[in-house]
Amino acid sequence: MDIDPSKILIRYNVQKEKAQSPEELAAEMFPKAEPARTICAAIFDGEEDDVIEGLEKAIEGGADAIKLIDDVLMVGMKIVTDLYDQGTIFLPNVMMSADAMLEGIEFCKEQGGSAPKPKGKIVCHVAEGDVHDIGKTIVAALLRAAGFEVVDLGRDCPVDEVIAAVKKESPMMLTGTALMTTTMYAFKEVNDRLLESGLKVPFQCGGGAVNQDFVVQYELGVYGEEAADAPKMANAILAGKGLAQLKETFHKH
Amino acid sequence: MVKRYTSMAYKAADDMIFGKSVYPVKAELGLEVGAGYVTAEVNYAPRPEAGVSKEKLVSEYRRLTTDIMARAVQVGFPAVSLETEHVEQMTNNPTWGGEVAHVQKTILEEYHEEYGIKCGLRHTPGDIREDRDLLALIGAKYDTLMESFEAVAEAGADFLSIETMGGKEILDYAILRNDVPGLIYGIGCLGSIDMTMIWSDIRKIADKKGRIAAGDTDCAQANTAMFIAGGLLDKNLAHTLAIIARAISAPRTLAGYEAGAQGPGKDCGYENTIVKSITGCPIAQEGKTSTCAHSDVMGNLVMQCCDLWSNESVEYHAEFGGTSVQCWSESLNYDAAMLNVATETGNAKMLRDILVLSDKYRDPQGYVLAYDNAYKVGQAIVKDGDDLFLRAKNAAISSVDILNAADSKKLVMSKFEINALKDAKASLDAMTDESETFMSDCMEKYKAEVAVFRPDANYKF
Repeated sequence: MDIDPSKILIRYNVQKEKAQSPEELAAEMFPKAEPARTICAAIFDGEEDDVIEGLEKAIEGGADAIKLIDDVLMVGMKIVTDLYDQGTIFLPNVMMSADAMLEGIEFCKEQGGSAPKPKGKIVCHVAEGDVHDIGKTIVAALLRAAGFEVVDLGRDCPVDEVIAAVKKESPMMLTGTALMTTTMYAFKEVNDRLLESGLKVPFQCGGGAVNQDFVVQYELGVYGEEAADAPKMANAILAGKGLAQLKETFHKH
Repeated sequence: MVKRYTSMAYKAADDMIFGKSVYPVKAELGLEVGAGYVTAEVNYAPRPEAGVSKEKLVSEYRRLTTDIMARAVQVGFPAVSLETEHVEQMTNNPTWGGEVAHVQKTILEEYHEEYGIKCGLRHTPGDIREDRDLLALIGAKYDTLMESFEAVAEAGADFLSIETMGGKEILDYAILRNDVPGLIYGIGCLGSIDMTMIWSDIRKIADKKGRIAAGDTDCAQANTAMFIAGGLLDKNLAHTLAIIARAISAPRTLAGYEAGAQGPGKDCGYENTIVKSITGCPIAQEGKTSTCAHSDVMGNLVMQCCDLWSNESVEYHAEFGGTSVQCWSESLNYDAAMLNVATETGNAKMLRDILVLSDKYRDPQGYVLAYDNAYKVGQAIVKDGDDLFLRAKNAAISSVDILNAADSKKLVMSKFEINALKDAKASLDAMTDESETFMSDCMEKYKAEVAVFRPDANYKF
């Protein structure tokens, strides 16, 4: 028994696929001048060695190593994240590009002897009792790719440690991920302890069993349905949006 | 030394059907799994606030167990099975899990005694063998985990299961980098080594307590891949990559049976049809009636060869139709009734094929898992059944070959999916066939690239 499936299902991903390939689209977005174009292409391809080689040439040619971070590396990464946001490329491409970009940043810092000021600092953690951290890994990578400094507290992170880190680092945003319904309960405690200390930092929560209905139960919570919401939320905070506006924007249900 | 599978349990794919397995298993209260009928397996999670104390947790499980049984007899269902997937407190404190199992089994016994309803109880301790910084598969946490199995078996759990994490530290890295050798190493090699160890010990406990060492699932890895892949429009992972991870997970899950598991395999093991084709042991599955827990793209298809039919998990709370566990258990039970009518009227294969065709062309994942293709993956695995690496590689190659041979007018793949498949094939073609070379190369590569991969601490290598 077999069937012509066209009457019972539609693969909308095939229908919606762009005529141009991701490589073609990216090539149109790369800077025209060299060596920026070659370095951006290497970031897009996730080729660390090529990124370093391009940076070396640029520095040999007189470029300021620290300026290359913002002027070239971040530009290349933005092309990648823009294509991801448009649905043209997939997450592994972003991760591999981020690896290449971060290696490039480290190289520039070594060469230049200093570090540029990040867009902002964000503390990331996985709820106490929860060891599932791939969601947090993705969130942290996307934030770094967008130019934010990430303080990664890791998985199964005690509430005390989260509060201490927020006090020490004064981040613009805190993220929490959890896979399980029982562990996400720790987010409420984090919220309460932050408020007790007078720390009204936006607390983006998401992952596995976490849902908007749960997150709206505590004041600082903003629900992040997708990992890709994290850099968008951080950028929104930079643009001056407060808690109420963040909830208005990111609470979709 | 365990004996690996080198042959298939079924002579032909068409012999595989829901409700029947070559080697059924029997629980204490009359329930047989794989003996000719499908039974609902109801899953649930306590409300978040219930985890604060043992008393609250036990009370939560008492209520929800009673709710499920009450609904089952109200609507006249002949059998039901329950699965309790532990919250971490229940495994880390073995007496907690034991007490929950005891309370649940007592309720099941009361209903069995009063109504004659056939019942089963599965307990699935959580894989707690993970420290903050790394997997610690062998050591104090392993001992606690085994104590948890002892406690739930002693308290009456019929089926013992777990969702093991072995290999996950590599998977989490590899899956985000389209790294097919990494998938084979993490899932197929490291995962299978861990499975062989843990299932040998679970079987010993089951035998000692007169329970059934049921089965595992590669939830931690293949389901991670499937969930990251998501729906048709999600852009996080090519679905062709997700099904390669799934195919590789079959020999990993198989390793549990080789070390002593007898079925029913765990519900979220979407690889279970492949595994059943090799072992002939009964399996649980989840799909269209587990949408309370997650979405997939093969909700009907996965019913094709199930022996237990599950809802994966639902938080215990109120719905318009009763409590959540009552609503979802009723849906599961009606599904099971439909399947059993098909069997009783001689239409089982017809219904199986309708279910399969509903989803076979919806997605590359469903295409490979359709029983005819799943059987081919099974054959590729047993061809080199004695070599953990080669059989995992064979599974990956088989899934790629099946997709490449598909009728492109029926299974329509996006350019992105096709390119990902092409890259995966190139990567597989470039791989060695030498197990020792592969293992030592991977050991060095991932020790250098993955900070949490510390094989001496993880696996005592």
